[in-house]
Amino acid sequence: MIWLVSAVLFWVVMLALNTWLANSKLSGTRAVRICVPLIFGMTLLVLWEGLVRGLEISQVILPAPSLIAQTFATSVDTLWVDFHQTVLKGALRGFIIGALAAFATAILIDRSAFLTRGLLPIGNFVAALPIVGIAPILVNWFGFDWHSKAAVVVVMVFFPILVNTVQGLRETDAMQRDLMRTYAADYFQTLIKLRLPAAMPFVFNGLKIATTLALIGAIVAEYFGSPTRGMGFRISTGVGSLSIDLVWAEIAVSALVGSVFYGVISIFEKRVTFWHPSQRS
Amino acid sequence: MRSIKTTVGALALSLFAGTASAADDVTLQLKWVTQAQFAGYYVALENGFYKDEDLNVTIKPGGPDIAPTQVLAGGGADVTVEWMPAALSAREKGLSMVNIAQPFKSSGMMLTCRKDAGVASTDDFAGKTLGVWFFGNEFPFLSWMSQLGLGTDGGDKGVEVLKQGFNVDPILNGQAACVSTMTYNEYWQVIDAGLTPDDLVTFKYEDQGVATLEDGLYVLEENLKDAKFSDRMVRFVRASMKGWKWAEENPEKAALIVLEYDETGAQTEAHQTRMMGEIAKLTAGSNGALDPADYERTVSSLLAGGSDPVISKKPTGAWTHTITDAALK
Repeated sequence: MIWLVSAVLFWVVMLALNTWLANSKLSGTRAVRICVPLIFGMTLLVLWEGLVRGLEISQVILPAPSLIAQTFATSVDTLWVDFHQTVLKGALRGFIIGALAAFATAILIDRSAFLTRGLLPIGNFVAALPIVGIAPILVNWFGFDWHSKAAVVVVMVFFPILVNTVQGLRETDAMQRDLMRTYAADYFQTLIKLRLPAAMPFVFNGLKIATTLALIGAIVAEYFGSPTRGMGFRISTGVGSLSIDLVWAEIAVSALVGSVFYGVISIFEKRVTFWHPSQRS
Repeated sequence: MRSIKTTVGALALSLFAGTASAADDVTLQLKWVTQAQFAGYYVALENGFYKDEDLNVTIKPGGPDIAPTQVLAGGGADVTVEWMPAALSAREKGLSMVNIAQPFKSSGMMLTCRKDAGVASTDDFAGKTLGVWFFGNEFPFLSWMSQLGLGTDGGDKGVEVLKQGFNVDPILNGQAACVSTMTYNEYWQVIDAGLTPDDLVTFKYEDQGVATLEDGLYVLEENLKDAKFSDRMVRFVRASMKGWKWAEENPEKAALIVLEYDETGAQTEAHQTRMMGEIAKLTAGSNGALDPADYERTVSSLLAGGSDPVISKKPTGAWTHTITDAALK
């Protein structure tokens, strides 16, 4: 009971603090901008801890954050092995292959109307494939190690990057292209100096969507056959052996990785598309 | 004297009145999908054995993403069919599961290997890839490998473990030299896929001395303290064992009953009849009461897990005879 009351009390106090911060004169400062979401996140964790302990919820149904943190700390080596297998080998390699393939295909599609009409519908078709349908098949084709996971990721990230890049390449208007012609620029010069830079905001949009898809794809594909390591392996088997705390630790890792991955792409985007109106603060 | 008589009479009346009310609900969570592996329970339901005990039993099928231990912990079932290793591991994790009955005397688990992959005996495992089920079913395998002195992280000296889905594809497409199979189910899937028994070599866990008790009935310890709950379980076990023995004697009919209850429509008569025949071999010799010797053997094989034992200390109070003693009187 004491846990429940104090958790709720903490939540009320922090909510008041956050509201005050957001409405105060300081709300524009960098420190406050970082503090507000941090306080909010911390409040959620405290509330979770309080509810689980206060209502005496079994640890095999929902472990308390403190227990998850403890498991996280004691099984860092396991988590690292899984991270290495799923993220560095499966997701990242698949992401890079998929992104390059989609980018190259987009350039080809842009070059000819014939391919636009032929390939785009196929891209659409691939996008509609359910991952749980293709994953077992790809595991059968490419073996149960990371290769099949990378293949699933390629299929998943291909389409959003393709569509966005194709759209981006159409971004320039006739006036700009005419200007390039008056400079006697050929197709490649126009592409590199004008059309690709103009397409970058779209390309990055596709990449950002693909980061989360890559992670999900790599993790879910491990449900359908995997060596005895990997985040998806640990999550799917941990439930069966009631290591729910370890499952949550893996979920925490994947959330962290997803955020970092997205953040890295965003930083690149800021650098590359500094000229775009959306980047002006 | 007379007052005693009236009290006894009143007591008898009140007991009678208690049973004359609505039937008691019992929810059973199966370990796997509806199939002849659980024929005894479906037979007891269909033939009214549960009704005769004044029980209203709901049977919940399991599946690849359902952990019976978790369902029990969450209060989604009163009693669950589970394997001893998973139950003991859960017990060590703080979920106090207790075995109240053990309809299966023998284990149906085995490793099925292809001869053309170069496996003839357990000495040939090193350097091979073996398919293993996880989700709580990996424990017997791990204790077996540690007794053979084989590591499970690949290399020439150990075995490469492949997390096998609940099918036998890896042995068919050559990804693994061996796969986990049950005598009553997956082994026949391999045969149906076109391999002959001559192509295969099987290692029964029973013969390897690492057999663990499968398909026992488990409840939560705190529930057993409740006399009403215990009484319901006594009646449930009695009716279930009646169902099992009926299924052993009438395998074809039992298979048909199971098919009737299979809502997925995925099971076929031929497969279920064959499965029931194999299951009958495993339930034979058990009247429902757990044999402490089998339990001790299971525990010692799990404790012998080398560097990574399934359970770290001898469990206490993980089984009880109170229910079966009362049920089998």
